[in-house]
Amino acid sequence: MNLFSVGISHHTASVDVRERMWLSADEAAGVLSALKEHFFAECMVVSTCNRTEVYGVLRDGVVDEGAVKRLLLDAKKADEGVRPDHFFTHHAGAAVHHLFKVAAGIDSMVIGDIQILNQVKEAFQSAGEHHVLGPIMNRLMQATLHVGKRVRTETTLCEGAVSVSYAAVELASKIFADLSRKSALLIGAGETGELTLKHLAGKGIGHIKIANRTRAKAEALVAELGGTVVDFEQIVDALRTVDIVVTSVNSPSYVVQPEHLYSVMRQRGNNPLFLIDIGVPRNINPASRKIENVFLYDMDSLNAIVDRNLEKRNAELPRVTTIIRQEMVEFFRWHRSLQVAPTIQDLHAAFEQVRQQEVEKNINRFRPEDRELVELVTRRIVNKLLHQPLSMLKEGSENGSGGPETINRVKVLRELFGIGIKSKRDE
Amino acid sequence: MVTKSFVDILVVALPFLYTGLVTVYGIAFFRNAVTVERLKRPYMLALLVLHLVYLGLRTVAFDHPPITTVYEIMTLLSAAMTMAYVYLEFRTNIRNTGFFILGLALIFQTVSSVFIKDLTVIPEYLHSLVLGFHVSAAMLGYTGISIAAVYGLLYLMLYHEIKSSRFGVIYSRLPNLETLETMSHKAEVFGFVALSVAIVIGLFWLPRVFREFSYLDPKLVGTIAIWVLYAIGLMSKRRLGWQGRKTMILALVGFAFVFIAMAVINISPSSFHTFH
Repeated sequence: MNLFSVGISHHTASVDVRERMWLSADEAAGVLSALKEHFFAECMVVSTCNRTEVYGVLRDGVVDEGAVKRLLLDAKKADEGVRPDHFFTHHAGAAVHHLFKVAAGIDSMVIGDIQILNQVKEAFQSAGEHHVLGPIMNRLMQATLHVGKRVRTETTLCEGAVSVSYAAVELASKIFADLSRKSALLIGAGETGELTLKHLAGKGIGHIKIANRTRAKAEALVAELGGTVVDFEQIVDALRTVDIVVTSVNSPSYVVQPEHLYSVMRQRGNNPLFLIDIGVPRNINPASRKIENVFLYDMDSLNAIVDRNLEKRNAELPRVTTIIRQEMVEFFRWHRSLQVAPTIQDLHAAFEQVRQQEVEKNINRFRPEDRELVELVTRRIVNKLLHQPLSMLKEGSENGSGGPETINRVKVLRELFGIGIKSKRDE
Repeated sequence: MVTKSFVDILVVALPFLYTGLVTVYGIAFFRNAVTVERLKRPYMLALLVLHLVYLGLRTVAFDHPPITTVYEIMTLLSAAMTMAYVYLEFRTNIRNTGFFILGLALIFQTVSSVFIKDLTVIPEYLHSLVLGFHVSAAMLGYTGISIAAVYGLLYLMLYHEIKSSRFGVIYSRLPNLETLETMSHKAEVFGFVALSVAIVIGLFWLPRVFREFSYLDPKLVGTIAIWVLYAIGLMSKRRLGWQGRKTMILALVGFAFVFIAMAVINISPSSFHTFH
């Protein structure tokens, strides 16, 4: 198989190297054209914050790896800081295996990343739009997306939050039924707090309130996310009307005390209150945890959730590996079917089967002394019918086996005569 | 004769079939197994149909609906709980609480199957259609209260896991706290309304049928006490805005009271209200 992949990823290069090699949509289009022109019959490029990878079907089965790397480096003018050993290369089955792992999310920095499948899909679509795909890459795309889909539906690899901010949102979803009917208050505008609020907004939280010592910063965040600004001095009062509170204040003492919460809970009819304290040092007195219907989480408890979810994801790896193995077998079975020799055999077998069935059905209509002749004549007819298509196939194969034109001919022949379809059904 | 044979088979088979169903729901809950997950709904629907067939055959075979003894009522209660759960699962698409609700149905059906008697001769008043409505309403009432209690228990288990940051299978598989509270509350309201209907029918019908009727009858007093308890609970939730853990504890206390009261009352020989 003439598949080849080359690229850099978080396994081989640090972020400053990866960002030098990141390709925008326009840059990727230029790279695709150049790759097609110089090296590949079909190709595609995946470029995300964690990887820039090229996959392609080689024109003549050999590749100058250095030249492909040089093309990528030149496209980004990234000679400085990017070395050849930052690149990985994979050939044939290893390239397919790598792409499947990427789509499954087990090659990601955070195992079970759900975004990567969409990014791979977009990369395929972009390659399609630039007319650099062919039968092999198209089939590889189907198989890759199928791997991703199966991993997401048949395993729990992508389940459970694996960042502190997502863990907080996951917990909120375990307490409240409908976040669009709830409101959240962010106290302080630390980075993780802001991220948590953004995740809550992404989940459709009903209303947002922000309190910060520097009011201008709160106003800037409100301008971005919507909601209202609350005076920092009024935060205890604001606790009465919100359901989720995220605190991320740089303060030497607790901003919220149990006595505040006892009073607030009475005023809010004991409605559940979810407090996420991601300040270091902590902003909410941990004794508040004892109050009924108050759910208080700090960095340690959120990190414990993240660790537990990562463990669960790792436990799913054997199931993911099995899916990848099954899909690789399926892909290579298809790929083998594109080779000329098996197709000629299959075509012969299919025609011979039809001939035999018809002869058996009608043989009694002939006199016994003519039956041998019937066999002979029908066999000749089949051979003559097959002569032209098989000659063309053989000719293509001798002129360069595995070339795109031969592959297309094989594909068309197999589809036209339903070769492989029946045997697959039988299986 | 054939009908009676089917009844005899089903009375033995149902506890085993319920055990199988609860096991399937248990495996789906604790192991999250895909195959079992696909199997559980068809199994539950098939068993419900079989249970309803059993109730129908029993009615035909013994010439009265199965509402004349505690054990007949228990199989009815078991079927009502399964039916209520089927409705809840399809209505809310929350599929992970069956192990607990159907577990209760299994207990009722097992007790019923062990002790149920084949009665063919029963007093004339037990053939009454009004009695059918009265008992059905009471069964729906107790079904609602039982389901409310199960959801209350699940709420408290999940509440405990979230509060103590110990995230196990309960955390992973149950719906959120607010949903559990809503489901418990709705089941409680449904049970309360059905119980109210049963009490109203009983208060009008019982004095006409039983010469020895007394307003001080233990079952009547007990049922009204249960009704008052739930009325206070529901009013408190509405008026005082009680929410969360406290109301779920009340649902469990209420159910425990119902269970104890009904056990004592049904054993009591002084009631005219024991039917048969």
